[in-house]
Amino acid sequence: MTTTSATTTSAGATAVPRPTTAGGASSADTAPTPDPGSARLRVVVVNGSPSRPSKTMGLTSVVLDTLAEMLPTEASQVDVYRLGHGFTDATSRDEVTPDVESALHRAEEADLLVAAAPVFRGSYPGMFKHFFDLVDQYALANKAVLLVATGGSDRHALVLEHAMRPLFAFFQAMTVPVAFYASSGDFDGTLLLNPRVYGRVQMGLQDVAGLLRSRATG
Amino acid sequence: MPFEIGIMTFGEVTTDPRTGSTPSPRQRVRETVEQARVADQVGLDVFGVGEHHRTDFVGSAPTVLLAAAAEHTENIRLTSSVTVLSSDDPVRVWEQFATIDQLSGGRAEIIAGRGSYSESFPLFGYDLGDYAELFREKLDLLLAIREQNPLTWQGRLRPSLVDADIAPRAFGDTIPVWVGVGGSPASAVSTGRLGLPMAMALLLGPITFHERTLALYREAAASAGHDADALPVSINTHGYVGATSQGARDLMYPSFVQGMAENNHQRGAGFPLSRPSFDALSAPGAGLLVGSPQEVVDKLLAYHELYGLDRAIVHMGFGGMAQKDHLEAIERLGTEVAPVVRREVAAAERSAA
Repeated sequence: MTTTSATTTSAGATAVPRPTTAGGASSADTAPTPDPGSARLRVVVVNGSPSRPSKTMGLTSVVLDTLAEMLPTEASQVDVYRLGHGFTDATSRDEVTPDVESALHRAEEADLLVAAAPVFRGSYPGMFKHFFDLVDQYALANKAVLLVATGGSDRHALVLEHAMRPLFAFFQAMTVPVAFYASSGDFDGTLLLNPRVYGRVQMGLQDVAGLLRSRATG
Repeated sequence: MPFEIGIMTFGEVTTDPRTGSTPSPRQRVRETVEQARVADQVGLDVFGVGEHHRTDFVGSAPTVLLAAAAEHTENIRLTSSVTVLSSDDPVRVWEQFATIDQLSGGRAEIIAGRGSYSESFPLFGYDLGDYAELFREKLDLLLAIREQNPLTWQGRLRPSLVDADIAPRAFGDTIPVWVGVGGSPASAVSTGRLGLPMAMALLLGPITFHERTLALYREAAASAGHDADALPVSINTHGYVGATSQGARDLMYPSFVQGMAENNHQRGAGFPLSRPSFDALSAPGAGLLVGSPQEVVDKLLAYHELYGLDRAIVHMGFGGMAQKDHLEAIERLGTEVAPVVRREVAAAERSAA
């Protein structure tokens, strides 16, 4: 299987910022515990936020950093709002431009897909859905998927369960049973400050770290 | 610190719902200074003026009102409630409060806030998109100015200062800077990390509304190395001290419901707060400090027990109230409520020690 670099910069794809990880290389170099030679979990974030920086990626980066402390990972990101006309003009998979095809392929081939979205008008943004409308019907079958969402208040927290999880149920993906949500008030700008949310991420990821380790192929 | 009780106003220029008359700005600024004078005379500890940039308030320049109040008072502390620091220049904020501090012999304070109104951002050319960073950076500068002079400072959203001489300095050792917090977890955490006193605004809701705010604040302060239990905290809430329990509610309700309708919107428009809901918000388990002197004493003691408060600031007259009714409530707060609360809190703290 081809290895996707963590620093791929095709359209709409950027390296995930990892401010708390020492050094600039992949986290496997600095992770404290993993077995030498164990495979890396190839994580692809599909980011449904139009903002840059965003609270959605603020929370997601906490998730990725916490995960990287538990097992070797290699992360990349697809920003659906940056994919451009090759994405927005396409009504079917065969109409997308090569860079968009590459982003879709990368998501389909991930060991762990992190689906991250803000709440817009009561659900995930249409652009986020459009990305998954272009994903092959069976490409995510049995794929480990972790759900992450942010919203304007705690009232939106069930977007994870009532909007996002059913989308991946269609794909017969293996959404892990933990999912992470934070409200605007938990952030100073896009920096997550609420220690309760940090604690929740830590606890939730511990629950599924063993399963995720078994999915690592990188 | 001994328990402090004060009042605050936004300098409301609102039609009195009972009489139908609207005070002129001239009348309202004089009344505001008179409120400070009476509050000082009856022994209250704090007088605050909020910042609002609208025709229905005379509080666009709170420091000017506080300076006038300084000339008519002897002992009361003079604070903003709050200074919208995000859309102001910290150098100018310092200069103004330090001048008030000199005028008043060391009675100036600042409650810095993000502001729950956004009018000041376009007025002074700030982007609401920078809301969080503006506050963080300007608070950093304000605290730096307080700590040293001359000052060299660099930020992102404001030109740098090189060896800048910022005067006058405080009359005494320092000018207290509190941070006004509405209840978002992040505000509580960032204020705690800085080890700054926290003024918690409790608009509507249960008396327990800020339990999480305070827990997060103290945890953050402790983990940043501050003495979390020693940091002052206050509650700022609406209220009215009447002669009787029912009389206080009957007097406060018409003004308050109007003030809320004009300032608290749903679907872009005000909505009426029903009398049953107002009465519920005035119950012993709810936040409003409204009632007879004894009721307000009981609720302040409940607040103190719940939060370990150091200070309570009561916002009276919101929504337009006749000056006579307003002054009577200030007098009751100062003469019938504050002495009892101070005595009870001191006794409770002695028995705990």
